[in-house]
Amino acid sequence: MIEVKNLVRTFKSGDRTIKPVNDVSFELEQGTLASIVGKSGSGKSTLLSLLGALDKPTSGDVLVNGVSLAGMPDSKLTEYRRRDIGFVFQQFNLIPNLSAVDNVMLPMEFAGIRKAVRLGRARELLEQVQLDPDKHVRRINRLSGGEQQRVAIARALANSPQLILADEPTGNLDEQTGEHIIELLSSLSRDHNTTILVVTHDRSLANKTDRRFRLQQGRLTEEGARNRAAAGSPA
Amino acid sequence: MSVLARSVGNAFRNKVRTAAVVAVLAVAIGLALAMLVANQAVAGKVAELNASVGTVLTVNPAGGQGFEGGGEPLTAEQATTAASVPNVSTVVGTKALRLRNADAAAAQTGGPGGLGGQGGPGGQAATTLTTSLTAAVDAGTLGARNQASTGTSGTSGTAPAFSVPITATGIGAEVDTTGKALELTEGTGLGDYTAASTGALLGTTLAEKNGLAVGSTFTINDQSFTVAGLFDAGTAFGNNALYLTLPAAQTLAELPGELSTMIATVNSMENVEAAKTALQEALGSDAADVSQGQRNLESAVSSLGSVKNISFIAFVAALATAGLIILLIMVMLVRERRREIGVLKAIGARNRTIGLQFVLEALVLVALGSAVGAAVASFASGGIASALISSNTATATTVAGQRGIPGGTPGGFPGAPAGGFPGAPGEGPLGGASQLLTSVTASASPGVIAAGIAAVFGVAIIGALVPALLTARIRPIEVLRGE
Repeated sequence: MIEVKNLVRTFKSGDRTIKPVNDVSFELEQGTLASIVGKSGSGKSTLLSLLGALDKPTSGDVLVNGVSLAGMPDSKLTEYRRRDIGFVFQQFNLIPNLSAVDNVMLPMEFAGIRKAVRLGRARELLEQVQLDPDKHVRRINRLSGGEQQRVAIARALANSPQLILADEPTGNLDEQTGEHIIELLSSLSRDHNTTILVVTHDRSLANKTDRRFRLQQGRLTEEGARNRAAAGSPA
Repeated sequence: MSVLARSVGNAFRNKVRTAAVVAVLAVAIGLALAMLVANQAVAGKVAELNASVGTVLTVNPAGGQGFEGGGEPLTAEQATTAASVPNVSTVVGTKALRLRNADAAAAQTGGPGGLGGQGGPGGQAATTLTTSLTAAVDAGTLGARNQASTGTSGTSGTAPAFSVPITATGIGAEVDTTGKALELTEGTGLGDYTAASTGALLGTTLAEKNGLAVGSTFTINDQSFTVAGLFDAGTAFGNNALYLTLPAAQTLAELPGELSTMIATVNSMENVEAAKTALQEALGSDAADVSQGQRNLESAVSSLGSVKNISFIAFVAALATAGLIILLIMVMLVRERRREIGVLKAIGARNRTIGLQFVLEALVLVALGSAVGAAVASFASGGIASALISSNTATATTVAGQRGIPGGTPGGFPGAPAGGFPGAPGEGPLGGASQLLTSVTASASPGVIAAGIAAVFGVAIIGALVPALLTARIRPIEVLRGE
């Protein structure tokens, strides 16, 4: 369970103080697929970076299963990111000179998992995200955008995290591939009981998530929730 | 994929840039290794000089030298006194003999001048002995002139063919008359040089002239000697000589306990001057003349010392350059890969893992640069060392020439075609020093190359650590920059 309490992040820009995240509070149950929508520059990515411990809040706290991230030393935050968080970035952020399977193995290597085990799991995850087996050993820069995003999702799942943070996961993809990615995230949330928070400006994508939030001028409001059991598949 | 494999892969990400970096590193590392090789070669030569001729003092009877002059002969007691002087590590006594071919001597006895003409001054005629050996050096113009000026005055008529005497020296250790270790080309030494023996060491040309090899025999005053070994003194004069054990020579001369010279070796070059003074005081200036036979080597060693210092400074500078290249390249790579470093941190990489990855990447580049650089050094080190030495010795030779440094001691052996005995042969302004200087051979030994590469890797690690530490300062939020 993720609890966000009065989260504030401010930046100085000359004489001005900018508050992309202003007193944000919410809770997400384990296994929820949630979305945050908002215009560009509304603070979506900043909020995501705070939840993923990529950045530190000016005030407020994030609790993961009751454990506070505030005041946690960098080494513990690194461990938190490695063990509990999976990131899916808009621009994929895969390591270009490595193959798909090597990229998926990276977080497991950092977690100290043996090579044979991580190789098996990496191939399993790539099959799960429906990447052709013959492309597993292909270099990232020789894969299409959709394929790269699938590799990025497989990498995010590598260490079976509790929370996946996806920043505009369909932003660089065509509509059909975007739909497929959303289906994939939804099934992951359902099948693996993984909490997934998707940041997007795509309303149709947001409508397919269990809970929808809107971030406007740093303030978060919940727009609505959906009964997944009643709605069936998000597609 | 392990950190190492990832680092190797990263090193070849941009092949053109990698090739350029390796080429630049190879030049710096090659230069560093070449300088180290030159430095080691020169250091070895300096040590060799210091350990041999550069630290040798020659003691002659006061007023006498070789077969010239006068005074009282040196004794075994004086050798004991000399050995007790501070900083004198060894004292080797010598007994000089002149050998005449028995047939030539018999022929000359009846002719004008007679044998006495070759005895020369010094009252040491008793040390002129007959032998079955024939000298390897022809008398020539110089020998005939010396013979005329020293032995045939007051006579007239046609003199029989003159033969150059052979130098025989009884020695107390396996060294030549300048204190330098004998270079045996065949056979063995004489074993205990302080005991009487019928073994002898012959100069290569003398043995060749007489058709002798190791195991052959010859006679001195009808006493048979066996060739135990052959040596190469490097000069025609030096190779027209033979060595016996000291007691054997004293017995032949019928002068037991008497020495022609003493060769005192000082423990280090720095102590030579003090030891010389102390030795002179201990023996007394009326009994012995102490001279530093290779005094000119001081300037030679000093010159080599300059080369050594220059090569060491150049080695350090080239090493620092290699380190700086690594530092700059890795800083550039870290800046270029900030986002990637942010990604690695975002997905849970520790700072030390990322730092190690960059250090290993730097070491891969250095390993490639070292391989090429070692090849460059193995070809270039000889030329670089020669260039360094020749430029420095040219200066030293000029300076020495202006000071008029004499080459060796004056020749004292009548009839000898060149050089002097027992002093070192004269060879121009620097004597043998210039030859010693140019004889420095800078060969790239595996040990020196390995030591140089180890130093390069050490510097590379230091150079790579700075950028590796910089990676720790990159925050994972960098990954979201530009998104």
